[in-house]
Amino acid sequence: MGEKTASFSIAGLTFDWPVIISVTITMAIVFFVLYWMAHKLTMKPKGKQNALEMIIDFTNGIVETSLPNQIGNNLKFYAFTLFMFIFMANQIGLILHISVDGVTFLKSPTADPLIALTLALISIGISHYLSVSQLGFKKYVKTVFLSPYPALLPINLIDQFTSYMTLGLRLFGNIFAGETVLALLWQFAKAAGLLSLVPGMLMTIVWIAFSLFIGAIQAYVFVTLTMVYTSEKLEV
Amino acid sequence: MLDQFILAGASEGLALGNLLFVLVAFLLLMLLLKKFAWGPVTKMMDDRAQKVANDLDTAQTQREQAEQLATARKEQLAAARQQANQIVSDAKDAGKKQGAQLIADAQADSKALKERTAAQIEQDRNEAMTLVKNDVADLSVTIAQKIIQKELNLSDQKALIDAYIDGLGESK
Repeated sequence: MGEKTASFSIAGLTFDWPVIISVTITMAIVFFVLYWMAHKLTMKPKGKQNALEMIIDFTNGIVETSLPNQIGNNLKFYAFTLFMFIFMANQIGLILHISVDGVTFLKSPTADPLIALTLALISIGISHYLSVSQLGFKKYVKTVFLSPYPALLPINLIDQFTSYMTLGLRLFGNIFAGETVLALLWQFAKAAGLLSLVPGMLMTIVWIAFSLFIGAIQAYVFVTLTMVYTSEKLEV
Repeated sequence: MLDQFILAGASEGLALGNLLFVLVAFLLLMLLLKKFAWGPVTKMMDDRAQKVANDLDTAQTQREQAEQLATARKEQLAAARQQANQIVSDAKDAGKKQGAQLIADAQADSKALKERTAAQIEQDRNEAMTLVKNDVADLSVTIAQKIIQKELNLSDQKALIDAYIDGLGESK
């Protein structure tokens, strides 16, 4: 599509304004919502505190399915943050989309492949790091790259690379597709005045509902796969 | 978008700034959440779990205590009931005895009273009889005097006195 972007450089590194703005706003929303939910905690939870504890129990459940041990306990906070960030990132582009002169300044951060792949990089990085620190480097190489037979090394290398790529691109693809279809629906809605505006709006409503669902599912899938990839690297 | 990805990968050496920014921002988000949301909530959840466990233990102990107390109370109650029964039966016995005593006393009293009354009546009757006898004697003497005064003349009287004096001399 060749989308335009506004970028600047610091020390040879390229920064894109849309990415920075989207990520910052998403994280700010995540932080303030969770800060508000965790405000005025009581021993007997009610309302927002109950909701927050439900989310925490939910992400803890994801972790415990794959890693019912101390490593899993240490990963629970990461899983929670990851889930909240991806969930909010997936939804924000559906709620608000700001474009100025053809440059989209606010969209779903996860609709950018680089951000999705960065998150995947963090997850995969953590899984490799934990494997090395738990098993030692020798065992790590043996478990991750030379099992079940050393002859499968090339396949294992491809496997590790593709698991990283699919983890990131699955998220990116789902959210990017959702936003693309939304953009197409908008073009359809303004194509023939009122005649297309009404059905266009109806279809948009349906599609946004579906995308919200997809966004939640993708956040869940991303966290689940992170834990699965971590646990399979820890199996001796 | 995909063009951008491939293009960026090819010419600009990837937009590594974005990657770095996301990494740093994510770490920052984790730090903030740990301090302001995750930390307090998980602490509260742990505290709650701890409290529930403690409460369960306390409840167990207290229930045991309560059971002990209940057993002790039951025993005490049984003892008290037995004691009460004892007291009641004692009181009943005492009452019965006292009643019998009272009846016996009353009977004795009434018997004595009856006897005394009967004796009194007898005495009164005798006195009355005596009184009546005397009265009758007086009356008959008076009547006799009246009759005698009317019919007795001097000569007769003289003869009577003589006879009386004779009688006196004889009876000596």
